[in-house]
Amino acid sequence: MKKKIYSISLNLVLILLGIITVYPFVWMLSSSFKQNKEIMALEQHLLPQAFIIKNYITMNERFDFMRFFGNSLFITIVVTILVVYTSTICGYVLSKYEFKGKNVLFGFVLSTMMIPWCVTIIPKYSMIQAFGWMDSYKALIIPAMFSGFGIFMMKQHISTLPNEILEAARSDGANEFYIFHKIVFPMARNGISSIAIFQFLWSWEDYLWPYLVINTKEKQLLSVGLKMFNGQYSTDYGALFAATTISIVPVLLIYLFFQKQFIAGIASSAVKG
Amino acid sequence: MKKKIMLIAMVSALSITSLAGCSSESNKKEQTKIDVPTEVFGDTIKYDPNVEVNNGEKVTIELWEWGSDELFESLIAGYTAIHPNVTIKLVNNPWEDYWTKLPLALDGENGPALFNIHNSYHENLINYLAPLDIPIEDLQADFTGVDAHIIDGKVYYIDYGMMTGTVYYNKDMWEAAGLTEADIPKTWDEMREVAKKLTIKNGDQIVQAGLNFNGDFHQNYLLGLNYQLGENIFKEDGTTPNVNSDTMKQIMQMLVDFYEVDGVGSKDFGEKGADSFGQGQSAMVIQWGHFYNTLNTTWSDINFGVFEIPTFDGNPYAYNRYNGESTFGINKNAPKDQQAVAQDFVKYYLANDNVQVAFNLAMSTFPAKKSLANNEEILKNPSLRVLAEHIDRYIWPGPMPETVENSLKRAGEEVFYNGVDIDTAFDEAQATIEKDMKNSSFVSVENLYKYAK
Amino acid sequence: MFKKKHPLQSKSEILLRNIVVTAMIVFFLVFLIIPIGIAFVGSFHEWNPLSGTYRFLGMENYKEVFTSSLFGRSMINTLIFSVVVIIFRVGLGLGIAYAIYSPFIKYKSFFRAIYYMPIVTPMVAVAFVWKFMYNPQIGTINHLLGLNINWLMNPKTALLAVMIMTIWKDFGYAVVMYCAGLYSLPSDALEAAKVDGANGRQVFLHIILPLLKPMTLFVVITSIISYVQAYVQILIMTEGGPGTSTYLASYIIYDEAFVKYNFGYASALSFVLFVITAVFTWCSFRVSGSEE
Repeated sequence: MKKKIYSISLNLVLILLGIITVYPFVWMLSSSFKQNKEIMALEQHLLPQAFIIKNYITMNERFDFMRFFGNSLFITIVVTILVVYTSTICGYVLSKYEFKGKNVLFGFVLSTMMIPWCVTIIPKYSMIQAFGWMDSYKALIIPAMFSGFGIFMMKQHISTLPNEILEAARSDGANEFYIFHKIVFPMARNGISSIAIFQFLWSWEDYLWPYLVINTKEKQLLSVGLKMFNGQYSTDYGALFAATTISIVPVLLIYLFFQKQFIAGIASSAVKG
Repeated sequence: MKKKIMLIAMVSALSITSLAGCSSESNKKEQTKIDVPTEVFGDTIKYDPNVEVNNGEKVTIELWEWGSDELFESLIAGYTAIHPNVTIKLVNNPWEDYWTKLPLALDGENGPALFNIHNSYHENLINYLAPLDIPIEDLQADFTGVDAHIIDGKVYYIDYGMMTGTVYYNKDMWEAAGLTEADIPKTWDEMREVAKKLTIKNGDQIVQAGLNFNGDFHQNYLLGLNYQLGENIFKEDGTTPNVNSDTMKQIMQMLVDFYEVDGVGSKDFGEKGADSFGQGQSAMVIQWGHFYNTLNTTWSDINFGVFEIPTFDGNPYAYNRYNGESTFGINKNAPKDQQAVAQDFVKYYLANDNVQVAFNLAMSTFPAKKSLANNEEILKNPSLRVLAEHIDRYIWPGPMPETVENSLKRAGEEVFYNGVDIDTAFDEAQATIEKDMKNSSFVSVENLYKYAK
Repeated sequence: MFKKKHPLQSKSEILLRNIVVTAMIVFFLVFLIIPIGIAFVGSFHEWNPLSGTYRFLGMENYKEVFTSSLFGRSMINTLIFSVVVIIFRVGLGLGIAYAIYSPFIKYKSFFRAIYYMPIVTPMVAVAFVWKFMYNPQIGTINHLLGLNINWLMNPKTALLAVMIMTIWKDFGYAVVMYCAGLYSLPSDALEAAKVDGANGRQVFLHIILPLLKPMTLFVVITSIISYVQAYVQILIMTEGGPGTSTYLASYIIYDEAFVKYNFGYASALSFVLFVITAVFTWCSFRVSGSEE
């Protein structure tokens, strides 16, 4: 009996917290079907009094939203795949190989995580200009190819994989490239999922960098696009909320899809840190 | 902040034109039949539609703008009807993107021959501009405010319209408070009395504010009313700010008194004055021209009227600050034939009264073209009508760096919300602006005001 | 010494190692070390890309940083902001994760997914939604709580309001992290404790909590790094106001660098902030007594 009360009250607390968490989303979703006038009206109702889908239409017509969406998806996927690959291979080398200066290198990678964006962004911007990469996707992809956080996570994760399997493969005459791609990579999939989810989220949300380096509208990304109607300067809340509603869908799907591996991956990378 | 206003103005202009577009579907046939003028038209600047451009050979130029496509399309349609050999490609970018991209495009080889200008970006654009072919005397004869745009004896662009602040009041609340047309205040003292009558309280709690300036007091009061008392925003050298003057502090004190002595509003009631007016919670606000369009689109339920900004003694040095909406810029690096077309296009644009009226109405700006000061269409817009009488008594300080507005906003907030005393807050604002403007090439043009002392 | 693990280094191992190490070094050199160098040199200059100014100033910028009352104030704000948000993030995250982990909760992944939602939503949009909710006249929060507070314009509540929003947005991250931590706890240790007759609280305090220490350290450190850099919520919700009440260090840097284009001064601010972050991170390592 006591257990039951305990269980019910715990469930209630979690549900209450869940409501607090979800409420702003419901509000946003509902506002995306309202006119701006109603969003700002004195008399507030959660549900739209005059249901309109105009926001979803103007958002696309005036801001070419689906194009931004496609660009973002492309860049985010490319960067995520690259980062997953580089993190895994660096993680493998740093965790399973012994060589001079390894700890210095790893310590250095760790410390890169601590450098605020603001320190490097200004010179990076000038460098991209000097390289002639402005307004090209090179500027978004190449400086993002390695991630200190990713390498750190994968090093932790891969060091939990048993050495015996690698040794067995080695004594079978397999070379290191084969071992990495065919054995380590699949075995590290939990860690890979967690890196993938983090990286996907970061790339998807990154605002300042694409804003600075991409100029052509056709190439622009969603996070910057969001700012166009919402940003500092505009008041088209309806379209902003419509756009946001759509923009969170892919990240949420990725998470739901990889949730199990994500959690297992974090468990093996971070806990043992 | 300027940017914010501009964008709001543009967005509302866009929505108006698109609304108009919906309702005029049936008129489309008439619209496609454009009257091609055959006679020379214009005041001093004349445009002769019978002179061919580019020797009648085909030529294509780009025109870059932000905001309202339809407005520009109709301008282009009118021009290309006269010159069918010219094709003008309209390129629209959202406001914020526009200013990142335009300088880059102008720096490259294929920049647009023609582009919209906003004076807040003057410094980024001036090096790419070709001077106008039109003699300065002709420009001066037809337009006001040309002098402020003369650089080393050349003019690169001028203002087609002037935007400034007026008082918007809610007519229903006005009536409910027993007020009539005769009660429209001329002075700040009268304004206070009216505001008191328009305020409704439930105990200590404000239910309806008589006057609301939350969120924009720096723009609509602090940077403007100083002129009524004969004090400029910049000192005589044109570069040192003058925001900690006694006048400025006096105005701040008046704002504080409105809320704290008269209780006609509250810093906590209606986060933004403009929204609060639209929500029907505040009876009066001072807003710039763009608000007229906002009221007609977003807040169409509000029954509002407009009157001129009150003064201290009925005899101000200037009524208020204004800011100009600029004419097109011509790219000096564009091929010669394109530049020639662009020059011709600007002349057409300046000489054509219908175009000038359409642009001013879309932005709710008062025409800079002198012959349009009494134009019927313009005077139908109440926010412009009230400006007509004293329009030469408005002053432009030049394209001020953003820090002036931002620092005054911060100073005002320190006073209203954080209990800092006015002297400290405004001295700090003065110091911040001085520091931020150390490298600015800005020089005030307040000395070019017609009635400058 | 370092040949102990597998002394027979194959050719392919050396090749792979050299490729990876070289790539890593080149990458971090080009996109991290060199930019840091440029920024460091720049921080001693008056540097404005718009007007093309680049003039040596010596220590001027740093002097200005340390005498600026705004920067001092913003550092205090940043400290309060980070500490409060991290405490709540860790506390809520651990509590909720433990509840989800407990046998009383059935729909575990449902709750995890719900709490994770704010994490994946762009901060720009979240900040706007909350700005509406904080509105004194039309906002949900005053309506629900029956209050009349001008949350974002009152110097006593403005920073608090931004912190509440940030906690709301970010606690789910800690929930998921701790869930992961709890699932990977060695079950034999827990079983043994139960056999010894330890009650729930004892198990939690004496076994689970110490085992979760590395995870806590991980959450705290990643939080310090991200909160010291927070500026988007300020940009949208308060613009540092009322007055200067909610200025955070990163917001000043953003403002100086990309609004005023004072790259030199912004770089000096960045370095000071970087050093402070590093010190804090180091402190949290020390406090946790981590052996690594």
